[in-house]
Amino acid sequence: MNKNTLRFAALTAALVLFAAVPAGAQQFAQYVALGDSLTAGWQSGCLVQRNQVTSYPAQLAQILYSGLFELPLVQEGPLTNSGSPKCLGAIFVPPASLSVAPMSEMANPLNAALPQPYNDLGIPGAEVADLTTLTHGDINGTDLEQLSALILRNVTHSPLDGTSAVNQAGLLLGPAGSAGLATLWIGNNNVLGASTSGIVVDGLTLVSPDDFQASFNDILAGLPPDTHLVVANIPNVTAIPFSTTIPPVLVDPTTRQPVLIGGSLVPLLGQGDSAYPCTPEPPNRGCPLPPGTLVNLPASALLGIGVGIPVEAGGTGAPLPHGHVDATGPHAGVTLYPDEVSLLLERTGQYNDIIASSIGSAVLVDANAAFNGIAAHGYEIGGITLTTSFLTGGIFSYDGVHPSTIGYTIVADQFIQAINTQTASDYPRPDFANTLFTPNPPDPGTGASVVAGGPWNYSFDMWSDVLGTTAATRALRGLALPTVATTRMVPRLPAPARAPAAREGRPGGKQPADD
Amino acid sequence: MSQRFRVPLPRVFLAVAVLGFLICSPAYPSGFQVMTQGARATGMGLAFAGVADDPTAIFYNPAGIAFQEHFSAEAGFAVLGRFPSDFTGANPYPGVGQNGSIDDTQQFLVPHVYVVAPLTAELNFGLGIDAPYGLGLRWNNPNTSWPGRYISQNAVIRTTDINPNFSYKLFPELSIAAGADYRFSGLQLERDQAAVNPFTGSVVDVAHAKLYSGLTSNGGWGWNVAVMWKPTPAIGIGASYRSKITVDYTGTITLTPRLSGNPVFDGLVAATIPFGEHPVTSSIAFPASLNTGAGINFGDGWLLSLEADWTEWSSFAALNILFPDGVAPDVHRPTAWTDSWAYRGGIEKKFGDWALRVGYYYDNTPQPTVDVGPILSDNDRNVYSFGFGYNTPQWGFDVGGLYIKFKHRDVLTESTDNFFGTYSEVGWAGVADLRISF
Repeated sequence: MNKNTLRFAALTAALVLFAAVPAGAQQFAQYVALGDSLTAGWQSGCLVQRNQVTSYPAQLAQILYSGLFELPLVQEGPLTNSGSPKCLGAIFVPPASLSVAPMSEMANPLNAALPQPYNDLGIPGAEVADLTTLTHGDINGTDLEQLSALILRNVTHSPLDGTSAVNQAGLLLGPAGSAGLATLWIGNNNVLGASTSGIVVDGLTLVSPDDFQASFNDILAGLPPDTHLVVANIPNVTAIPFSTTIPPVLVDPTTRQPVLIGGSLVPLLGQGDSAYPCTPEPPNRGCPLPPGTLVNLPASALLGIGVGIPVEAGGTGAPLPHGHVDATGPHAGVTLYPDEVSLLLERTGQYNDIIASSIGSAVLVDANAAFNGIAAHGYEIGGITLTTSFLTGGIFSYDGVHPSTIGYTIVADQFIQAINTQTASDYPRPDFANTLFTPNPPDPGTGASVVAGGPWNYSFDMWSDVLGTTAATRALRGLALPTVATTRMVPRLPAPARAPAAREGRPGGKQPADD
Repeated sequence: MSQRFRVPLPRVFLAVAVLGFLICSPAYPSGFQVMTQGARATGMGLAFAGVADDPTAIFYNPAGIAFQEHFSAEAGFAVLGRFPSDFTGANPYPGVGQNGSIDDTQQFLVPHVYVVAPLTAELNFGLGIDAPYGLGLRWNNPNTSWPGRYISQNAVIRTTDINPNFSYKLFPELSIAAGADYRFSGLQLERDQAAVNPFTGSVVDVAHAKLYSGLTSNGGWGWNVAVMWKPTPAIGIGASYRSKITVDYTGTITLTPRLSGNPVFDGLVAATIPFGEHPVTSSIAFPASLNTGAGINFGDGWLLSLEADWTEWSSFAALNILFPDGVAPDVHRPTAWTDSWAYRGGIEKKFGDWALRVGYYYDNTPQPTVDVGPILSDNDRNVYSFGFGYNTPQWGFDVGGLYIKFKHRDVLTESTDNFFGTYSEVGWAGVADLRISF
């Protein structure tokens, strides 16, 4: 019996002791959210206070938590030339088109002096292993280390140095005993990074189920045994607008209708993969994408200059790049061939099986089933139809990967419904009207130019920011993407206070920044 | 230059716009049935199938006209309205504090005319013109604060039936009747359409959709049979069955813009949504019904009437909206209604030519909670009736009234429209008739 098996056995025993979430609507004395960018409230390419306060954990806290839910708030500021992630917004492109452009960016941390760990420990870019192994952050390090410095504040000389997200969760939850609640939504980046980078390579961008199991067990074993646990599984990452907006056939950019030549659709051109080898027919240098291929959003910049479009349709005949790894390292692409889509779905299913079988009596939020339903049928609420369409669907933000505030409210609602159903509880569901009708454009601040530098259509630059939050594997870190900024993702953080003054909290889970 | 994303407001816009217009507004008997077709019956809690001794028998039990020996005509009207009736919102949508109220200034005049003509000693003819289904539900502040405006702002269904009947007295104590029923019907359904403003990420009103189908251009045939047994002069037992009638509608849906104030967004919407008038067809299966009752005359002017009514609301299984010009995909939505029963009782006490009446009935709703919404918020109800009349062999008049107290309808856990809250409704009806006989 290996170490992981023993740990898992102990964990299972502990989980059996996890009583169901208290019946009725009793609030918890402590609440910690563990996860990745989705848990952090990342939206439209950035993590800023405007969106953090409506993250799904923040919304859950208003319902489930009796205390002050502390967030690693980040100020939103005007655009600069720094490498800070940009907040995207929609812009009008005459005569009748939309595009996205950066309008503001992440600026300074606002709650860095908090004398205890944050309640929201979602780390953008984190994979399942990172919640237990990422114990040291560095504001000059890799993207993930920078975000660790922001979220976990486990930097050199900090009292939190050497602690992981799970360790910090334990610091908060331990004293609460059975009055503590933890939500866990992790593993998304274990498949999302492969999907958004177009590099679907088992063992490189996709970890094995055994490794996933071991890392997931480590998380569960690290949580206090009395903590009530709610766990969400991994949704189908190939159904997000980042991968579904651009069809694999040529579309008239004005009418958005497929182009027909000789009565037939015109497939875009790709480089092929091992299952679909490519032998180009000159003058084209690429091969038609097979049906079922997904084309990621960054391809829009290439299609705009004729890449991926056959010569006979007025294009260059050059193929859309396909993600792969060669002797020089990994190379990102914009296409996902059907075999790659199948592998992503298969691996998602395997990860979800592991999650479901590992959590004992904890509440399981079937985010995968919920998202598949929404992707297929939309989300109807009060006569309002929301969809997963890019820009106009309402559920996804401007980066095409992360939910909008409305989308995060749907997530919070799925958590509440799962808790109520599986524990015979009666917690109120979130109030959608608060988010449905509240405008949420980027806010660069008073006097700032809304769009600096003119329209930036969805490009590799923005893609790089998205990837910055969804880096799936160590292999992708440092990946040489075209025009990827190499500067810090987050501004330099002030040194954590060693003996901070007591800070008065406010009940109800609201944020000081709300005031 | 990169590829841009034209506003992909869906082609299914029209389908979404009318998705909520799938069931019709309530009347006061269950569903959208209207039973107030006679003032005397109204005063007795609508329990009249076992009495059926005036021309309104053509509606309540046509076999009763076999026992009427003179040419008679009765005409009148019902007025139906509401006391203040409210909706209290709940999470997740529209949310606590998001409330609404029904326009209780709206009242509906529903006329009826009945004629009975004896042809032979056994054979009588009767003709009724009435409106057995319909009414409407209009919400206050429909364009602004009413949170259910994306489902329904105003829903109206109108019907007019022409119902000729022949009755035949098989024996002095037993009669039967049969008739044909042609139903004209019209619809008017209004709602706003929402869309996500891509510049703000928030939901805004972008269009108003009005579906209209005229009363006289749509109709359907049905039939009815009835039996009346009077084992003694003081006792009447009757039953009346009316068939399902399916009305196929043709009409239009008109889309007009709701401007957001952002000219760029409004322009994008205008370039995407097919504003204007488009043809639409639909269909409603009005249910079959069986009314069974008994009337017992205890002497000294006392009359007791009891009745149990069954309505086959399960036949109202779905409503379909079709777009002949292909501007939007057809809509097919199940309603999952169930058959319902109502139990009625009424008493009449005569004082010479004058009469006083009281009654009560309990009506079960056919509408499952999941289907309850701003278009129709039906529920079980307790109804109290009263009335009076003056009748001589040559002429008479009657007046009746109903006080309808709906049970609160809580929609808190499941809703087809994902629209949650509590509906509180109180209605009233007044009916007046004038009769002449020769």
